[in-house]
Amino acid sequence: MSSIKEKFNQISPSEFFYSNRDLAGFSNPTRSLYTAVREFVENALDACDQKGILPDVHLTIKAVDPEKPDPKPYILTVKDNGPGIDAEHIPLAFGTVLYGSKFGLKQARGMFGLGATMAILYGQITTNKPVIVKSSVDGATQDTFELLLDIQKNKPVIVKHTTKEVSKHGLSVSICLEGDYSKAGNKIRDYVYETSLITPYASITFDDPKDQKFSHPRFVKEIPPPPTIIRPHPHGIDVERIRRMIVESQFEIPTIDDAMIEKVRKDLGLSVKNLSFTAIMDKAKKKWKTLPRQVRVVIALMSFLKMDFEKLNKIRIEDIDMPNKKLFYWDFGDSQSKSVDMDPESQYYKQLTNTVQGEPLTTFLTKRFQRIGPTTAVKFAEFAGFKPEKRMGTLSNQELVNLSDSLQKFEDFMAPDSSCLAPLGEDPLEKGIKKFFNPDFTAVVQRSPSAYSGFPFIIEMGIAYGGDIKSGGPHVYRYANRIPLLYDEGSDVVLKVVNDTDWGRYKVKGDPPFIIVSHICSTRIPYKTAGKENVADRPEIERELRLGLQLLSRKLAAYMSKRGQADMAKKRANLYAKYLPQIAEFCTELAGKKKEPNYKKLLEENAVESKQSVEEENEIGNK
Amino acid sequence: MATSKKEQTRIKERSKKADAKQKNILEMLKSHGAKIYDDLDNGQFPKFSIPSRSVSNIVYDKKLRQYILGTNAAVRSSRNSAQLRSFTQLMWLAFFANRLTHEKKSSTLRDVYYSSQAFAIEFEDQSESDNIIVDLEAVTSKPREDFHIFPEERSSIFGDLTIEYTIPGYEGKTMNLSNHPDGYSIGPSLTTAELVDTSAEIVIAIEKGGLFTRFVEEQVDKKFKSIIINTGGQAPRSTRTLLKRLHEEMKLPVIVLTDGDVYGEHIAMVIKSGSANAAHLRELTVPDAKWVGVWATDIEKYKLPTIPMTESDIKRCYDLQKDPRYQDGIWKKELDVFLKLKRKAELEAFSKYGLTNITDKYLPQKLELAKSL
Repeated sequence: MSSIKEKFNQISPSEFFYSNRDLAGFSNPTRSLYTAVREFVENALDACDQKGILPDVHLTIKAVDPEKPDPKPYILTVKDNGPGIDAEHIPLAFGTVLYGSKFGLKQARGMFGLGATMAILYGQITTNKPVIVKSSVDGATQDTFELLLDIQKNKPVIVKHTTKEVSKHGLSVSICLEGDYSKAGNKIRDYVYETSLITPYASITFDDPKDQKFSHPRFVKEIPPPPTIIRPHPHGIDVERIRRMIVESQFEIPTIDDAMIEKVRKDLGLSVKNLSFTAIMDKAKKKWKTLPRQVRVVIALMSFLKMDFEKLNKIRIEDIDMPNKKLFYWDFGDSQSKSVDMDPESQYYKQLTNTVQGEPLTTFLTKRFQRIGPTTAVKFAEFAGFKPEKRMGTLSNQELVNLSDSLQKFEDFMAPDSSCLAPLGEDPLEKGIKKFFNPDFTAVVQRSPSAYSGFPFIIEMGIAYGGDIKSGGPHVYRYANRIPLLYDEGSDVVLKVVNDTDWGRYKVKGDPPFIIVSHICSTRIPYKTAGKENVADRPEIERELRLGLQLLSRKLAAYMSKRGQADMAKKRANLYAKYLPQIAEFCTELAGKKKEPNYKKLLEENAVESKQSVEEENEIGNK
Repeated sequence: MATSKKEQTRIKERSKKADAKQKNILEMLKSHGAKIYDDLDNGQFPKFSIPSRSVSNIVYDKKLRQYILGTNAAVRSSRNSAQLRSFTQLMWLAFFANRLTHEKKSSTLRDVYYSSQAFAIEFEDQSESDNIIVDLEAVTSKPREDFHIFPEERSSIFGDLTIEYTIPGYEGKTMNLSNHPDGYSIGPSLTTAELVDTSAEIVIAIEKGGLFTRFVEEQVDKKFKSIIINTGGQAPRSTRTLLKRLHEEMKLPVIVLTDGDVYGEHIAMVIKSGSANAAHLRELTVPDAKWVGVWATDIEKYKLPTIPMTESDIKRCYDLQKDPRYQDGIWKKELDVFLKLKRKAELEAFSKYGLTNITDKYLPQKLELAKSL
């Protein structure tokens, strides 16, 4: 391995956007408006979640010219009470594709903040209007930016920047985009409604273009604990990911330019005048322990180059060939590439080795993956056929592939850490279901964490029957990382599991009024498409969903059978109330009596019996 | 026409008898009603027992020479929500029958079905209400005619028989049944009338309306001192009641003339010993009635024109072979011959030999034969 720098070609964002807008949910004005709403609302909720702020999110959609027929330009504004974004980051955050704060491994609604930029891009392409971002981090001053994206260069263009005093922190993003509210309205209202069910600690309002207001106040006062960022699990890793991690673990060889030379001078405590090579090395030797890594590397290089600062200014380091112990550099004066041999016995050689070849395998494993200790790391190295001290930077492509395969196959790794997940919790979920559907019966369950391909996940499920729920069920509400999934339900794993269930076995018959809420939390939801609307049927996830649903279904069955008995008792009581008076009437005349017999006692006794059954039923419903 | 004192006494006695019968029925209904009244008043769910009318509970009583219900009975309870509806229906029917009997009004099966609606009693269809009527018969062991509920189908009667009406508005009025050559319809008023006097010595029940008219024209009533009854196929229950009364009250033997097929044989058998459908009733049979023809053996004997038996005719033969009443005598013998011939003949077949052949030749021979049966 001889390359020091590994760079990835950056694709043109506009090209990326044009070729991927369907996948990202910007295929037409209807879908685009819905997707844009989703991206901004989810960003707002994520921002609040991460800082433990009870979210207040205000969504407004206004037609620029209400008289025009759909599709037409709309102004979409999402305002939150989150932490805001520092003014210095705003242009990059909103004016650059692939810039964001969500690159760590933990559960969040969106990934990489890509969607919001896509929405901004889409808005700009369809209306040529800037995005307006208002942000206050401290709750005292607010920065307002009007930004356009330079699509070719993937750079923001600041149209206008003002500041003013405010009294609240938070972020407001407003874009103008072509949309079709007459078609997207239903979905957007459903989205807001369903989001508030799974985010009961948020207060969400929506002002629609027809001046209708939809308000979903929070009904849970506690925000679930925020997820922590975790290191990846070895089972969830691929070659590309390892390659990137190796790069991260390596120090780049610093470019020895004027700034770097200045830094070396300063750190060594040298005066302005130039020192000879020997003098520099002496000084460095003395101060070695206190020097920063970058400076140490420069010194190490100098030890082989044997140059003073003046000479260093005239070369550029090209390559370090560790196996052949050669250092290549370009000499500007002679305009040619030169090399020097490196002495492997030198203490500086080791310094360079560490820098260029990265960490030993065991260190790499324990430092960069979750839940791997030194013992496991050594055991794994043996399993994979690597020397434990093998330096990561020296792995060939083939070795990388072997390592990756072995990481998947090795079974002694501990299960993934689920502290990066943020399930809603059984209690808030149940409260939400009860508030939204006012059902006769509710049951919820949170399964213990499980993992697929090294990604931890948790399944939460709720089931509710009767009350305000309309018949024709089961109606399935699907969520992934607190995002409602509204499209493409046909091929979703949750639907598959629900449809596979023989509801007759659980005493649910006919056109039942019941709902199922399913929430999959994971650091990576295995969506089938980039539109993020349906979840693939991974066996591990399917199994957990099935077990969760079975547990709830059994509870429902118990309720249904009690309810059946109560219904019967009620029906019987009604029958008595209908027929006993008739019997009384007829027998009175038959017996030749004037006064009817006192049959009311019988009716009362039976009313009591059926009331008891109803009470039992309610008890179950409340359990 | 002035009535003698003796005559007046007789009328009084008769109406007393009718009153007694009515009173008897009313008393019985009252006692049932009182029991249910008391149950309700004591906070108990009323219930009563209904003899089971399922096939397994119908047995042939050789001594009574008819089908009767066995001892199996089902409890119908108002506590049982599945039975509550039919319990109420039955209660209503008893109540309705009580009114009919009390007010001496008559009703038909269909009429009962519609009357129920005036009391908010629901019947799915007439067959459900018909069934409840049979339930009431089973509970009280009285035919529905006793509760003034009559069938729609009518058969007819002709001959020298004087009757006296007991129905309201006609009490004491008498009528001779040879006055009208089309015969008299056997309806509620005739079924319940007192049988006053007759010169007849025999009752001839005949299956076919056409032959009934022929018999009247040929003055069979006079020539053979008979009362002629047209059963119109299977005899309705009111007709069977009348036959029984003619036999018991007027001491007249009854002979039955039917078509020469397996159904004709069974028509005669039902008059004689009842049907499974009415096994809960014991006042509909004339065990001494005699079936005189047309027999299977007559087909060959009289060289009657025949038609082939259908598959259902043959099946019916096999079914009847299992019936305990067809195990011996002419009943068994004729059935066997029918099965052997696989052909049948109608009463009209005698017309091949002239219109009056049946009354001139066949009937006298059969009447003679009947004495030895």
